[in-house]
Amino acid sequence: MNQYLDILNELFREVLDNESIDLKPETTANDIDEWDSINHIYLVVEIEKKFNIKFKSSQILEWKNVGEIIESIQDKK
Amino acid sequence: MLFNSIDFFIFLPIVFVLYWMVLNKHLRMQNVLLLIASYIFYGWWDWRFLSLILMSTVVDYFVGLQIYKTENSSTRKRWLWLSIGFNLGLLGFFKYFNFFIESWIDAFNSIGYNMDYYSLNIILPVGISFYTFQTMSYSLDISKNKIKPTKDFIAFATFVSFFPQLVAGPIERASNLLPQFFKRRNFDYIMAVDGSRQILWGLFKKIVIADNCASYVNDVFQNYSEYSAGTLVLGVAVFAFQIYADFSGYTDIAIGVAKLFGFQFKRNFNYPYFSTNISDFWKRWHISLSSWLNDYLFTPLAIDLRNYKKYGIFSAVFITFLISGLWHGAGWNYIVWGGLHGLFYIPIIFSKKRFSSISTSNIVTKNNVSYNQIPKMLLTFTMVCFTYIFFRSINLSEAINYNVAISEGIINNNIFNINLPDIRIILFIPCLILVEWIQRDKEFGMDLKAINYIAFRWFIYILVIAIIIIFGAKSQSFIYFQF
Repeated sequence: MNQYLDILNELFREVLDNESIDLKPETTANDIDEWDSINHIYLVVEIEKKFNIKFKSSQILEWKNVGEIIESIQDKK
Repeated sequence: MLFNSIDFFIFLPIVFVLYWMVLNKHLRMQNVLLLIASYIFYGWWDWRFLSLILMSTVVDYFVGLQIYKTENSSTRKRWLWLSIGFNLGLLGFFKYFNFFIESWIDAFNSIGYNMDYYSLNIILPVGISFYTFQTMSYSLDISKNKIKPTKDFIAFATFVSFFPQLVAGPIERASNLLPQFFKRRNFDYIMAVDGSRQILWGLFKKIVIADNCASYVNDVFQNYSEYSAGTLVLGVAVFAFQIYADFSGYTDIAIGVAKLFGFQFKRNFNYPYFSTNISDFWKRWHISLSSWLNDYLFTPLAIDLRNYKKYGIFSAVFITFLISGLWHGAGWNYIVWGGLHGLFYIPIIFSKKRFSSISTSNIVTKNNVSYNQIPKMLLTFTMVCFTYIFFRSINLSEAINYNVAISEGIINNNIFNINLPDIRIILFIPCLILVEWIQRDKEFGMDLKAINYIAFRWFIYILVIAIIIIFGAKSQSFIYFQF
């Protein structure tokens, strides 16, 4: 879990252009100003590229927080 | 029943007294009372359309339970489509039937077939665009495992029809509103006072600003061919304040009334005219609709189109705004209005600069404002105003003619011969802007929780009430009731 969290944290900082982001499993889009609906799509694309995986659309729509993104990544790995 | 009517001023205290003094200890009975009150409130317009609300309620109550019970994902989907099909079917028939028929006939006539106009005299049931979206979101959220369905039919029916937000929103989500029907509600004096202030502020915006603007705007848009370019531009700007004061005023009353009964709605407006770009604007204007479209339309579309990168995102944005236009009204002018907002996203999506660094210039929450934001605010306001020409005109050709009239005025140097609006408008619109600017980190303009001097608070109350009585215009219906 932790290794994925660190990689995601790095990726979020890069995509959202904010060095102060500190992700936790319970972090949601409401906690980060820059994480809006358009940036959410960029994040999904970058996550898929980084881990070389492809999520199912329905899976993405069920994510409630960062922890659930990590679970989806683990499922695919 | 209109919020700004005598009927409502009799209705509200009766429900309030029964709710807190008679049924205070009985949660379920309080819900029953709210349900009856909501149906009376709605039936005041036209009791026949209550059957539509009831049907929508029954369908989604049942579908919600079925989706939750079902494991098989394709069966779940079928149940979900029943809800979506039913609600969009209601909306399609009552709101769009004539529009589609007439558009088809026009298309056939334009290629040489001669067809007669055939249309039914369908009355638009008030609030249908709002409550169908609210019930659909319930089934959608259950299908995405975001919430669990309720077995309490009374609570669910009250959630669908709750009178403060039934006819023009805010479009509430089950995740926020439904649990509040199961929690014991104790009378909270501070919340009730806060709600009363919000109601008073909403009445001020509606009666003093919006209703005074109405006659000027109506005149300019009806007789645009007689006015100078300057007057036409001013007419649109005044309309911008009319529609904002009208709709956010309505919303403040709705949220305030809900607070009187111990309910907290989601915020629907966050000082939209202080936005610094169009994306910022849509995070502050009619938030309950834009977040609905965002969650159930834009995001699924953009996820499916994500391999097309920026083009995929733009397509999703554009389609979402076209649908948003159609949601507002069955007319090509609304579709163009939505399309323009979609096009305004092009610089945001395709600029080399990262989107985030543009969108986070959050002027409202920062204490020290950098003044280079002001030109961006004015530019955003101007863009929004331009789209209002299409929103306010009765149809697309009138909107185009309005634009032509502005251009002709400029070419013929007929610009500065300006026909000014009523003095009350010239006086109170700047007051509104000033108050909102000062209060921009508060929930609404008259949020006085932080002010400790009782005398000062009462001075404000009396001042606002006096202004409403002295300068208020003849009461009009709310603009968003037609959508």
